[in-house]
Amino acid sequence: MSEEIIRALVNVFPQVIPVMVLGVFACVLFLGSTFRADRHIWAGVALVGLAGAAVALVWMVPTVPLKRDPNYASPIAMDRLALLIHWMALVGGSVLVLFSWNEVPDRQAGEYHGCLLLVVAGLCLTSAANELVTLFLSLELISIPTYILMYLPRHDAAAQEAAMKYFLLSIFSSALLLFGFSYLYGLGGTTNLPALLEALTRNDTSLPVVALVSLILVVAGFGFKITAVPFHFYAPDVYQGAPTGAVALLAFLPKVAGFVALFRVLGLVFTESPGNGMGLGDHVSILFWILAAVTMSLGNVLALLQTNVKRLLAYSSVAHAGYMLIGLAVAEPLHKSQILSPQSELLNPRFAGVDAVLFYLVAYGAMTIGAFAVLAYLSTAERPIENEDDLSGLSQSHPGVALLMALFLFSLIGIPLTAGFAGKLVLFLDAMAVEGDNAHLFRGLALVGVINAAIGAWYYLRILTKMYLHSSIKPIEKPRALPGLLALWICAAVTLGLGVFPGLMLRSPELPLGAKPATSQMKTSGRPDPPKTAPPWRAAVSATTSVIA
Amino acid sequence: MDLLRNPVPCLLAIPAAAAVVVALLGPRRAPAVRGVSLAATLAALALAAVLAASFAGTRTSGPAPATATFHPDFTTRCPILKVGAGTEETIQFYVGLDGLNVWLVVLTAVLMVSGVLVSWTAIQDRVHEYYAWLLALETGMLGVFLAFDIILFYVFFELTLVPLFFLIGIWGGPQRRYAARKFFIYTLAGSLITFLGVLGVVLACYAKTGELTFAIPKLTDIVHSRLAMDSPEERAFWIGTPSFGKIIRSALGLLSLEEAAGMWGGVEFWVFLALTAGFAIKVPLVPLHTWLPLAHVEAPTAGSVLLAGVLLKIGTYGFLRLCLPLAPDASLSLGMPLIGTLAVIGIVYGALCALAQDDIKKLVAYSSVSHLGFCMLGMFALNVVGLSGSLLQMINHGLSTGALFLLVGMLYERYHTRLLADYGGMAARLKVLSFFMVFFCLSSIGIPGLNGFVGEVLVLMGIFDFERAHGTWPVLAVIGATGIVLGAWYLLTMLMGVFFGPLKEPPPPVGHDNHHAVTDLNLREWAALVPIAALCIALGLYPQPVLDTARPELEMVAGFAHDAQDRADLPSPEGNLQILNPKGEGTP
Repeated sequence: MSEEIIRALVNVFPQVIPVMVLGVFACVLFLGSTFRADRHIWAGVALVGLAGAAVALVWMVPTVPLKRDPNYASPIAMDRLALLIHWMALVGGSVLVLFSWNEVPDRQAGEYHGCLLLVVAGLCLTSAANELVTLFLSLELISIPTYILMYLPRHDAAAQEAAMKYFLLSIFSSALLLFGFSYLYGLGGTTNLPALLEALTRNDTSLPVVALVSLILVVAGFGFKITAVPFHFYAPDVYQGAPTGAVALLAFLPKVAGFVALFRVLGLVFTESPGNGMGLGDHVSILFWILAAVTMSLGNVLALLQTNVKRLLAYSSVAHAGYMLIGLAVAEPLHKSQILSPQSELLNPRFAGVDAVLFYLVAYGAMTIGAFAVLAYLSTAERPIENEDDLSGLSQSHPGVALLMALFLFSLIGIPLTAGFAGKLVLFLDAMAVEGDNAHLFRGLALVGVINAAIGAWYYLRILTKMYLHSSIKPIEKPRALPGLLALWICAAVTLGLGVFPGLMLRSPELPLGAKPATSQMKTSGRPDPPKTAPPWRAAVSATTSVIA
Repeated sequence: MDLLRNPVPCLLAIPAAAAVVVALLGPRRAPAVRGVSLAATLAALALAAVLAASFAGTRTSGPAPATATFHPDFTTRCPILKVGAGTEETIQFYVGLDGLNVWLVVLTAVLMVSGVLVSWTAIQDRVHEYYAWLLALETGMLGVFLAFDIILFYVFFELTLVPLFFLIGIWGGPQRRYAARKFFIYTLAGSLITFLGVLGVVLACYAKTGELTFAIPKLTDIVHSRLAMDSPEERAFWIGTPSFGKIIRSALGLLSLEEAAGMWGGVEFWVFLALTAGFAIKVPLVPLHTWLPLAHVEAPTAGSVLLAGVLLKIGTYGFLRLCLPLAPDASLSLGMPLIGTLAVIGIVYGALCALAQDDIKKLVAYSSVSHLGFCMLGMFALNVVGLSGSLLQMINHGLSTGALFLLVGMLYERYHTRLLADYGGMAARLKVLSFFMVFFCLSSIGIPGLNGFVGEVLVLMGIFDFERAHGTWPVLAVIGATGIVLGAWYLLTMLMGVFFGPLKEPPPPVGHDNHHAVTDLNLREWAALVPIAALCIALGLYPQPVLDTARPELEMVAGFAHDAQDRADLPSPEGNLQILNPKGEGTP
């Protein structure tokens, strides 16, 4: 073993300290809950654990390099993308703890929050995984506690069925994923991601068909996590049957993990082999094109037919996964239309499409968790919120909560001043910006996207109509739960904050601008086209411009 | 200090702040809620009037220079979202006044005051929410008119939907929920496609010049300077028409890549279609109008007034502000064949539908379809006369139809029915209301001396000009003119039935023996109607200030169309199609 590799391996340890903190606190929760059953204590401990991980993360930030060379040795590599996902996981985790504070019975609180911390830890690890096996293991670290979470708080038949269904399908998708990984290993001869991608893209000849097969298997495996369409079947039943807190978790954390893992495996965010992915040419984008179009259309159309709010939100989450897949579909063609330009380096265009997906993930997380948090906040054991009718007259009985729910629903529709609008803006901007022979394909995808957004508006409006335009059939008695309310407010703040000031996340970096074409000269000379530069918003839209590199 | 010199953002801030205050006042302080709302709308009106007066002052002080783009006055710009590396490459909060929007802003402010007044006693339920949404709606509407950033325009465009959804859905008639949802979905579906068009324009300009801008004046400028180069590449990029035969064949794999080049046509074609999708629904043009009668009829009175008076104008204004300047060639080639035909169908169809209604409010609603068709027809004549007429028709229709909805609402408040058959000879019972009704019907029909006349004459002149210039028979103009006759027919029939003839009061409500205390207009209702009536007379007698203020912009838009015509004629210079005078001449 060379000196360098040993150093790389040793350097891994500081990078996983946040994950270790989470693990330790999870152990404390598991052990402690055998002595004492009190939901307030254990939820508090879980929050402390998340805060501890956050502190560790802050402490670690200076060691995360802005620009990273490909790391051929270590299984874990922190970069700015991983950092962003860490923060999303920790904040999301805290909201989920607050959210299910009162939903979980005392006896199970310890296990519940312990599992939650493990899922968060799994997501953190996924985002930093630099190697196929680590990636797979961290994805399993997300899945296995999820099974328990779904089963824990409720013991009725519906919850059991949901947990079982999720379990079986999850195992199935893991198997597909592993199968795909094994082909990748066979092709590249290594499990290290940068090395693998380099091996796959090294020669100019196109890859063998096996690569395409492995790609499809991998996408199928991750498709389960992100509820892309042929793999979405579990979502409605599971969302309906499982406890609300677990559903909110399921709707957000595994989806983030799925997308990040896709970025990593497809090589969309690597520093040195930027964006050209596995060298599969158009196949990747066409595959995602189809996946995106089918996912959002089917999700929206099926959501129209639902009356159960949780089922409806399940299909809505499928539909939103479809919107996000637009970002993946355009990543490669966008990159290709930029790579032609010699100046592209200056404008940091590597993460075309990816940053839009990341922004949308945050927006989606805030509005979806928010909507579930409203349901959880209003539900009581005697009067669970199941159907749309249960929300009737909410604006009269709980004006404040109704207003927040309206905000989340408007955000899901994509009305301006909400994060949902800003997310759609960047996604559609990316889709429209593709140039080249296939440009019309992606403009068509944007059209499919907006038509879907209009279809989606119908069922969100149905809930709004119930809340505001109907009077209550059976008034909801007012439960008081401070943590639930706090979770709601956090989600609302993110939804509104990112909607009004999307620049908070889509921050423009101060980049040198030597590449700008001289417009005046061009006008007089009548030269047809200025040299192609990378679209400047690419640089800006990078949530992550500073985040990923 | 800056705000004192440039109070346009205040125009938006006043209703927005008042909406928040009103919402916080809560349900138990209804008088305070009404007071605050009235004060806020009056303040906004005063500010709008002062701004309009000073703006008109700058316009009349000297001859406006010929320009190649919009030059808004009283502008405020501040960056919202930086999307590019350059300092200009941001989505901005960019508002200002120019000749196209200044009078529409005043119209909005006037109708808002009337809307608040007419809701005074009609709305007793959830009063604070009602006024909060009403004021939020005012913010949205003013924002659309004032915005000079294309994304900001779209943001306000969509934000008008939300308050109106609640206004119709909560305080509307029996079918209010269905009406509210239909209205929302219909408009949203269209506006989302418009959104793609907006992005398309921005990206096309970016692809051509490397400048990423969202400012409407800048975009207009870029489109025009690129088109003015008139090189084959630019033509193919902007103007080319798509060949659907090629597209189908290439989809089937029958065409090679070289043969398929250019099959998707130019940017303008698609941008025009995308922008039209949203605006045509808002106007509404005929096959897309089905949301309108329902929404108008179900909405509370103030909602109908604003819907007819202002929100429909957002559609026509969108055409004027974005479609014509940003896609001039497509506006020329698709405008008359597509929009013009639909507009003419709308004029006749709307009028015939109005004739067939048994509900007064529905009648007025369908009359909107007819009148707006007129407005669109004038606009796509694409000459100064037609455009002036169109702009004037926007304001006229807002005033007269808004007032008609006010009156129908007042009548409904007294008798709780809107069926034509229930009324007869009301002039004997409600003298002042009848007077106003006759007055506004005449204004709507276009009696000389009132506002409707000027607009209609200008529109017809514009259309005649256009058809003469193209050497065609004045078919559209003639059919359009029939619309006026039909308009007189249905409105006068309604007047005769309801207000004249033997007195016939609607049956009293169940459980009451007779209508007690049905009185004529009170002071509050006078106050809601008199300003509108005064404006109708003023515009009828002396429309010149409005036309003068808008003239530079209208000339500019007409000039774009003229250039487009020149480009369209260029490939066949030997063609003997003579452009007589597409710019038109003179205004009365």
